[in-house]
Amino acid sequence: MKRFFILGLVLGFLMVGTWAWAADTAKIGVVGPRTGPAAATGKAFEEGIALALDTINAKGGVLGKPLEVIFEDTGGVPEKAASAFERLATREKVPMVVGESHSSSALAEIEKANLYKVPFIICEAWHDDITKKNYKWVFRAGPANSGVVDFYIAPFVKDSGFKKVAIVRENSDWGVGIAERTEMDLKNYGIPFVTLKVEGSSKDFYTELTKIKSENPDIILAYIYGTGLHFFVAQANEVGLSPHCLILDGAGPPSLWPEFWKNAGAAGELELFMSSMHEKVHLTPMSRKFWDDYKKKYGKDPTDYKVRSIYNVILIAADAINRAKSTDNEAIVAALEKTNLEVTTGTVKFGLKPGTYEYHQWMPPMLVVQWQDQKQAVVYPKEAATGTLKRGK
Amino acid sequence: MSQFLMYLTNGIVIGVIHAISAIGVSLIVGIMKVVNFAHGELYIFAGYFSYHLTTTLGIPPLLAMPLSVFFIFLIGIGMERTLIRPTYGDEMYSLIITFVLSIVLQNAALLIFGPYPNKPPNLVTGATKIFGLYHYGNQRLLSFFISIAILLFIFYLIKKTWFGKSIRAVSQDRGMSSLVGVDPFRVNMLSFGLGAALAGAAGVVIAPIFPVTPTGSSAVSLTAFVVVVLGGMGSLKGCVVGGLLLGVIENFCAAYISTMYRSIYGFIILILILVFRPWGLFGQKS
Repeated sequence: MKRFFILGLVLGFLMVGTWAWAADTAKIGVVGPRTGPAAATGKAFEEGIALALDTINAKGGVLGKPLEVIFEDTGGVPEKAASAFERLATREKVPMVVGESHSSSALAEIEKANLYKVPFIICEAWHDDITKKNYKWVFRAGPANSGVVDFYIAPFVKDSGFKKVAIVRENSDWGVGIAERTEMDLKNYGIPFVTLKVEGSSKDFYTELTKIKSENPDIILAYIYGTGLHFFVAQANEVGLSPHCLILDGAGPPSLWPEFWKNAGAAGELELFMSSMHEKVHLTPMSRKFWDDYKKKYGKDPTDYKVRSIYNVILIAADAINRAKSTDNEAIVAALEKTNLEVTTGTVKFGLKPGTYEYHQWMPPMLVVQWQDQKQAVVYPKEAATGTLKRGK
Repeated sequence: MSQFLMYLTNGIVIGVIHAISAIGVSLIVGIMKVVNFAHGELYIFAGYFSYHLTTTLGIPPLLAMPLSVFFIFLIGIGMERTLIRPTYGDEMYSLIITFVLSIVLQNAALLIFGPYPNKPPNLVTGATKIFGLYHYGNQRLLSFFISIAILLFIFYLIKKTWFGKSIRAVSQDRGMSSLVGVDPFRVNMLSFGLGAALAGAAGVVIAPIFPVTPTGSSAVSLTAFVVVVLGGMGSLKGCVVGGLLLGVIENFCAAYISTMYRSIYGFIILILILVFRPWGLFGQKS
């Protein structure tokens, strides 16, 4: 009898304990690659999540409870990404998911978001179709291929007077989408170009670079993500193509990874890359706060702008749940559609006109940055420029 | 013409790099009939050792390279003593064990070294103009010559030395070789260590060109297996020819057909070999 009593007591304690623990925090899910070729993004996400939780929980958390994040690894693989999302939706039962940095993974995840009716805010997967599908549950507070190309890359090429462009794109959803949009814009501007398709996992680009060299371009738009970008930049210099021909990293983060200079060496000088972050460009007071908080927590300046992207979407998610005053999915979507929140990159307002990629889309301002003496100089757009574009000899 | 020669040069250089990456697998398969799935991980660990010995501990690169290879040799010996030896006689067990080990080591590398790519410093920088026609990276040329030196050393070791004769004796007839005074366990242990050291040698020689990442090991192992099957299981000569063939075909097909499917060309050749000559170019028909 005594044994049954003790067993009952223990079970009861465990049940109450579990309930109390579960009820103690508000949870949201994050999806992103913590392993695989883009595992560096996972590291950036971890830092951004920690900072966002500090900021949100210091202000009372979400619905009066501390916010907790469950970070599922996608490995950058669409099938794994879909399962990760499914796990968050069905097992963890999170009211909302944010994150992602691979278009192919995001395209798999939005189907699950639509199936389970879980609001999902994407921060760094750029393929137009992600929001172009106009799913009620899917939002993006980050760049879209069309926006990046139409407002930044193509105008930069035109305004800087480049005569011939080589587009090098990996065979991923992001690579294909952004290259097609670039081709369209360059055609409209009347700027000649050649396109070369490469394998995303390739390490040796000598053959590709030899072909590009024979076309004599003055800028290469490199749509290659990951370590491959480092190889590409280093090898372009070895075959005598750069710095005479400049290289623009169309994604950005690989040029900011801590190992970029070790891997690319002197060839990294004058390389251009897309970014939404620069130490001297602070569009909102939140941006300055983020920079200071990061330095305080990690003892260094932030480099990978994906730290800030995930930070932003967690802030947007917390704000929406607080305004919805519940974790009901319909209420959260309604709140998200009325978002008017200042984050580090501007004031977030999602597009509401259906029919295009701009539905449920908010595009942060982007910058074209150039490595000059191993320091970042913003060279485009002109209103944000901290330096002028340098050309190689 | 200069483009054609550039493709050919790169094909040969990459081919030799493929050969040195694969020769350790070929050696272990040939002697011990063990397929080492963890080969790529040993390559990656050697690259990381070389990187940390030079950049973290400040050891000169020329000393860090052999030291890293020696560490991998010791790891190889340890692997043979603890994991491979109990599986002798059952090829399936050794295959499963090395496969599991490859996953463990890959995750360990991610945990220890982090997700970022790393490379030891270049021994030389810049590029040389070949035949006055095109530029080619000096570090690639140096790695190419070091790889050739390593391949020649291995051929000498296996064909001309007493140790090489004992290895060949054990691989041909284990029982008979022990009757004439060769300890097959000792030979197997050293052979596995040598195969691991060759993976390490490839890692330290190639890492300055292609930085190592924890997940890069799968591609290294896959290419090594393609080369070994092309050349013929266990044939060192076949390994060199298979590597060169793969390198040249990949480069010419990428140049004249499409750059998008670079790695597929090698697999097409592999399928053709498996269909028409399953024992490989220099393997023995069983």
